[in-house]
Amino acid sequence: MIEKIYNDIIKETCLKYTHESGLEVYMLPMEGYSAVSAQFSVRFGSVDNAFKLDNGEHRKIPDGTAHYLEHKLFESEEKDAFKLFAQTGASCNACTSYDYTQYYFSCAENFGENLEILLDFVQQPYFTPENVEKERGIIGQEITMYRDSPNWRVFTNLLAGMYKENPVRIDIAGTVDSIAEITDEILYDCYNVFYSPDNMSLCIAGKFDPDEAVRICGERLKNRAPVGTGTADFNEPRAAAQKLVELSMPVAKPIFEIGFKRPPLDGAEQLSEYFGFDILFETIFGRTSDFFTDMRDKGLINDQFANGVLSGRGFFIPFLRGESDDTLAVAEEVGRVIRAFKASPPAREDFERIKRSTYGSLVRDFTNADSVASTLSEAALRGLSPFSMIDAAASASYEQMTALLSNLDEDNICISIIKGE
Amino acid sequence: MLYTAFDEIPRADYAAAEYILADCCEKFPSCSALSKRLAELYGASLSSRTSLSWSGTRCTGFFASVLDDRYALDGEEKLEREMCDILCECLLNPKAENGAFDKQVTALQKAQLIDDIDSIINERSAYAAQRANMTAFKGEPFEQPVTGSHEQAEKVTAQSAYSAYRKMLKTARIDILCAGASDFSDAEKVFSERFSKIERCDIYEFEKKPSALKSAPETVRDTLPMQQAILRMYFKAPNIDDRFANSLMCLILGGMTTSRFFVNIREKQSLCYYCNCMGNRFLRSMTAAAGVEPCNIERAKDAVLAELRGICENGVTEEELKSAKLELYNTLSSMGDNPAAMVSWYHSQRLDDEMLSPEEYFARIEEVDAKRVRAAAREYTLDTVYTLCPPDNDTENSPENGGQDEL
Repeated sequence: MIEKIYNDIIKETCLKYTHESGLEVYMLPMEGYSAVSAQFSVRFGSVDNAFKLDNGEHRKIPDGTAHYLEHKLFESEEKDAFKLFAQTGASCNACTSYDYTQYYFSCAENFGENLEILLDFVQQPYFTPENVEKERGIIGQEITMYRDSPNWRVFTNLLAGMYKENPVRIDIAGTVDSIAEITDEILYDCYNVFYSPDNMSLCIAGKFDPDEAVRICGERLKNRAPVGTGTADFNEPRAAAQKLVELSMPVAKPIFEIGFKRPPLDGAEQLSEYFGFDILFETIFGRTSDFFTDMRDKGLINDQFANGVLSGRGFFIPFLRGESDDTLAVAEEVGRVIRAFKASPPAREDFERIKRSTYGSLVRDFTNADSVASTLSEAALRGLSPFSMIDAAASASYEQMTALLSNLDEDNICISIIKGE
Repeated sequence: MLYTAFDEIPRADYAAAEYILADCCEKFPSCSALSKRLAELYGASLSSRTSLSWSGTRCTGFFASVLDDRYALDGEEKLEREMCDILCECLLNPKAENGAFDKQVTALQKAQLIDDIDSIINERSAYAAQRANMTAFKGEPFEQPVTGSHEQAEKVTAQSAYSAYRKMLKTARIDILCAGASDFSDAEKVFSERFSKIERCDIYEFEKKPSALKSAPETVRDTLPMQQAILRMYFKAPNIDDRFANSLMCLILGGMTTSRFFVNIREKQSLCYYCNCMGNRFLRSMTAAAGVEPCNIERAKDAVLAELRGICENGVTEEELKSAKLELYNTLSSMGDNPAAMVSWYHSQRLDDEMLSPEEYFARIEEVDAKRVRAAAREYTLDTVYTLCPPDNDTENSPENGGQDEL
């Protein structure tokens, strides 16, 4: 049974098919396009650091396991997935985030064959002591590469400073020490707990035949019940764990991130607040704002200054980032501006302008197969309808923005700085 | 795209002019005013970038992107036309008087340029590439960053940047590339009307000059407080003339997830997370890059040389050739979905003797056999080995100067 979901704002129809295993498949065929993009995602990321087996046994997962598993899943007893995709000409890869892992391909031809490869390799783990050991050096180098990146460190230090217990405070790939604990047995346990179809989603967009996709899903998807449940329970205090985190590395000018710790939200609420803060911060700190002009004129920030929102399962952080010789002065001014806007909110026309810009960028996302598949995946991972992002942005209101502003605690922040050596 | 030569005007002046033009103009006299209008146009974007294209050409690009008119909420809005107007305003009607850009805007953008030049160190691999280029392309345009040095940027004035701008406008070869869901009749109208009014002479002619191969490979080592070492190896082939075979050879050697570098150096030897190679057909050079543990630099270097030697001596398999062709086919045939990729494609075709569409290019790729790929590999000779390492790295096997390597 295929359900049609139509969106009146962008005039697109998404098809939803639920396989008997519980896997939800979202498909958006795009006329006039040459490529197709497919993303197979699982709600298993670096924040999932413990699970309970059905026999009651509780296990802690070493930091970096979700990412390690992602690397190893490409391998099989015979040909690895890269080789199989090379025979069809698809471009494939994977990524691990804080709360999900995703395997994807894009191709111009041989869609059916590529979908079969994707579904097969993700459902056929092959972990041995030897191949797990072999990967340690590669991932060790990946960890080291990121540790040398000031832009990555200023971001991860922000999370480490902001959260006391939440595992989001730990690097996605773990550390060289933590990955030393990972074994083939741990990878199988995690696979069997988290990689069950009802904890996954498949999203496809571009030039393809939905009937073919449904047929292949019917043939290839396995019915597997999870053998346990994730139990990443922790009590995270409401206040930021640290106010300031500083690190010295070779940088030309100090770089910073200022994060606002917000209570975590789920589903539609999270999405609504995501767009609320996205529009609010762009309105009061973006390139159209007086703040940006004044601070740039004073030489306290430069064109690298930007804002954004990081959100996921168990964390929600509106943030500002940039380069400055005096980050604390920037932070002080940020606090002053928020207090001033609480007393006298931004003009409605400023809000409308930024909302229009947000609408434009979401519509642009629907003109590219990769970004459509990503938008569908993001919604599916949150358990939301495929067009929920467009709907959330369209329904953002001036009143919602001012309400968010009035209950924003400008003191519950963490500042991360990378200073020059 | 404005193509210009490297002349007596310092590079930083051209770069500063580009920054100033993209920041504001007479009609939108501040960054804030311009940004507000772009936001109203559904988050349209206007950006700029100066790059060093090919062998000796500066390419100053101004990029505008806007939603298709059919998505406008107000029905009758002409987004494409207005965006073209804004781009022309920025390029042709900057905030300037008496032969100089606005002083305040210049000061801000000069500071930004200096920050950008200095901040290359924040991106370790880009920093390594810039440092390595100083040796690999000594005495050639690629030796120095296209935006100029910190010292040059310090000397930029409102007058000097404006002079560079005027010269660029007068003498640059100018290409206007449009891609997307439109027939671009509005764009054509706006651009032909606005550009017909500017005075033009001594239009720049492209220069094609391959990079010179050193008589013996040069080895250079830099240090920086960091944990991972970065290895860059430059190979040159001044006589190579088969761009199609060369492109496939680079893919098979280190340009895809089934390449020799990926399979043998990363997967089998676990030496690194990334090890790849990229060719520059105009410089006729190829660069291999890897991030490795400092103690493994020599092993990685030997491994790269061994993989290239393997292709030179034994050629490539039919399976490798087929995979590389499929990989290219996949990229080329989906290019039409992405307007920015189409612009980039035709920009890159500009200096070739024949300008090919992605389909025409692939037809030529199809004709390449394993023999031609092997012949392309055999044209390359090692020119430069560069490493960026932590300071306390064992230097015993890493000669600071004048070391020699054989392929």
